[in-house]
Amino acid sequence: MAHSQNSMEFPVNINTTQITTAYGHRALPKLKEELQSEDLQTRQKALMALCDLMHDPECIYKAMSIGCMENLKVLLKDSNSMVRIKTTEVLYITASHSVGRYAFLEHDIVLALSFLLNDLSPVCRGNLYKAYMQLVQVPRGAQEIISKGLISPLVWKLQVEREEEFQELILDTLVLCLREDATEALGSNVVLVLKQKLLSVNENIRSKAAHALLNVSISREGKKQVCKFDVIPILVHLLKDPVEHVKSNAAGALMFATVITEGKYAALEAQAISPLLELLHSPMTVARLNATKALTMLAEAPEGRKVLQVHVPTFRAMEVESHEKPQVAEALQRAARIAVSVIEFKP
Amino acid sequence: RTPGCWATDAAAAAGLCGAGSEPSVAPTSYAGNLPSRPLPLLSLLLASGNPCPWHYLHLSGSHDTLAPTCVKAKLHRKRGSLPPDMTSALTDGTSRAPSTYTYTSRPRALPCQRSRYRDSLTQPDEEPMRYGNIMYDRRVIRGNTYALQTGPLLGQPDSLELQRQREAKKRALARKQAQEQLRPQTPEPVEGRKHVDVQTELYLEEIADRVIEVDMECQTDAFLDRPPTPLFIPAKTGKDVATQILEGELFDFDLEVKPVLEVLVGKIIEQSLLEVMEEEELANLRASQREYEELRNSERAEVQRLEEQERRHREEKERRKKQQWEIVHKHNETSQKIAARAFAQRYLADLLPSVFGSLRDSGYFYDPIERDIEIGFLPWLMNEVEKTMEYSMVGRTVLDMLIREVVEKRLYMYEHKEETHRSPEPEDEPGGPGAVTESLEASEFPEQSMSQTQGLLLDGDYVQRTTYDRRSSQERKFMEETELLEQDEESAMRKSLEEEELS
Repeated sequence: MAHSQNSMEFPVNINTTQITTAYGHRALPKLKEELQSEDLQTRQKALMALCDLMHDPECIYKAMSIGCMENLKVLLKDSNSMVRIKTTEVLYITASHSVGRYAFLEHDIVLALSFLLNDLSPVCRGNLYKAYMQLVQVPRGAQEIISKGLISPLVWKLQVEREEEFQELILDTLVLCLREDATEALGSNVVLVLKQKLLSVNENIRSKAAHALLNVSISREGKKQVCKFDVIPILVHLLKDPVEHVKSNAAGALMFATVITEGKYAALEAQAISPLLELLHSPMTVARLNATKALTMLAEAPEGRKVLQVHVPTFRAMEVESHEKPQVAEALQRAARIAVSVIEFKP
Repeated sequence: RTPGCWATDAAAAAGLCGAGSEPSVAPTSYAGNLPSRPLPLLSLLLASGNPCPWHYLHLSGSHDTLAPTCVKAKLHRKRGSLPPDMTSALTDGTSRAPSTYTYTSRPRALPCQRSRYRDSLTQPDEEPMRYGNIMYDRRVIRGNTYALQTGPLLGQPDSLELQRQREAKKRALARKQAQEQLRPQTPEPVEGRKHVDVQTELYLEEIADRVIEVDMECQTDAFLDRPPTPLFIPAKTGKDVATQILEGELFDFDLEVKPVLEVLVGKIIEQSLLEVMEEEELANLRASQREYEELRNSERAEVQRLEEQERRHREEKERRKKQQWEIVHKHNETSQKIAARAFAQRYLADLLPSVFGSLRDSGYFYDPIERDIEIGFLPWLMNEVEKTMEYSMVGRTVLDMLIREVVEKRLYMYEHKEETHRSPEPEDEPGGPGAVTESLEASEFPEQSMSQTQGLLLDGDYVQRTTYDRRSSQERKFMEETELLEQDEESAMRKSLEEEELS
């Protein structure tokens, strides 16, 4: 039977992998001290406890204010791989909240993390990529990554990494960074790398690579490189891909790449018009929008115009279509109208 | 009446339970030095008839004035009959008592020591408790102790006083006894029930009339310290009785666990719902972001297309303009060239004739034979003519000289002859000889040669007219003597001079 008296022993530790956290607002300061301890076990356990705590944004804020981030930065350079893995996991969880992202920017953690890009442990690298991916969800984070010059290493890693999951994460990061500023990436041959990835077996990688190319070709230099490296035929080939979102991203990339004349003619040579016309009937709105725009670009060339004059009724039908979201419907109608006007343009 | 805690010693006094005594409990302390009164234990309990022995600590509101509450003593007041299992339970409870026993109670004033036995009925509650307050104790001497009457204390006490006191005591005792008989006793048990005395101590004892006495001796070693008293655990007597809680007797697990489970599961689900909702919200946000991005991309593409179009048009315009400009420029140039060509042609049209004309004028076109004649022949001719003339001149000069000499001589001769008379001879001679002589006379010495020549010349002139033929013959004569050239020259000179003079 239970004793009604308090036992003199310490309470039983149900989870031996974690250190017991102090109660209330003493938890984080105590954890901070334990993070600095000499004993490896203590550090590991403290990190595991920290992982659980970091799901709460208030805890993150508290941790920031007492200076846990500096400790974590030091721990990133620890010799034990478990410590590093757990530290990167903590940082990944931190980056999923906006307070955490702010902490990243304040304490210059991006640079400290970048030293682990060549880490031997794949889990560690995986967490690192996840952390970066969370960070670039906001434009300020993407700018930080660009300004620290991490695009070239990431592009190189994209080529080198075997794990598809990691490739996907890196692609996600790159997609959002390229939206911000593509000049550095273009200097590091990102188009060639993405071209390789377009032919990958994994559909997610294909789709994300196409999305990245879309973002690359927003800038003029990007368009020129895309045409120069003959990516357009591959994109046209992807238009016939079975997966919907691959098709839509490919159409988007084509949409931007065909703005310049070279792109137009390259696409026309690669017979892009018929797949694009098929895409107009796709269930995904994005795909239809992108296809419409791409066809508009192609209609500016006389050869394209000739072919598309036959299909003007399709566009007219699209003009009067409605969609449940008013902005989307309006966008589709407008796009269709513009396409019709371009096709019927007489000099 | 003060409710209090039972101590083990109180159990010993249970045997003295009297009948009809009111429930009154004296406060006892196990560790205290107060002697425990023999207490009418069980009858007291029975009198009150409280059902639950465990939870009852406080008798009634009337007894709360000086209620010492037992804080740490494990023993609780018990009222009513103690079932045997409770006794064992009691024992169990106390067997696990801590090694040291402590008892604390709220401080209270000790009642007066005098009234040991409670007179529950004859002394109603209204009567104030006789506190053992030292201030009101008659035994305590107050005031000056030096001048006290120490009558009865010194030597024998006064017999009278003693007697009186003894009688008073006896009367009081008799009164008390009378009152005791009148005192109500424990009410009779209800129909079908029986009052039973119950022991409430830690260790239950068999109550027998005869106390079992055994003589025991013990002797410690001579120089050993007294060992500590071992814990008194009385020998086990009686029957062992066990009890077992069978299934379903205490509680139904399934029924009891339901609310607990509900709470647990509910909390978990709530937490997970929150997290899922958060993620869903994030996913929704991301989806709307993506949608916005798609729309934006399409707009951007449109903008770029228009830009591109604009650029193309502009470049086309520029190119065309440039072309036009070049055309115009060329046109201008060509017309200028044509004009220049026409002008040049016109200008140069009469260039050739004018050139030829000017060349001809400047004598560049010459007949070579003519030239040759002019250049070669004529100078020679002239030279020859000059020479010839010079010869004749020289001849004439010589002739003139001769003439002069002759004339001079004649003159001299005439002068010598005509010393006597002077004849103006020179009338024959025109101005020329006269002039010659005048000139000769005038200008003899200055320019002799010139004058000579002049004279000669004049002479020559005169002579010339008359003697031209002669000269020519003389010329022929003197050609051998004098140079032809000089004559010619002189003759030429004279001729020219003559001509000049004449002109």
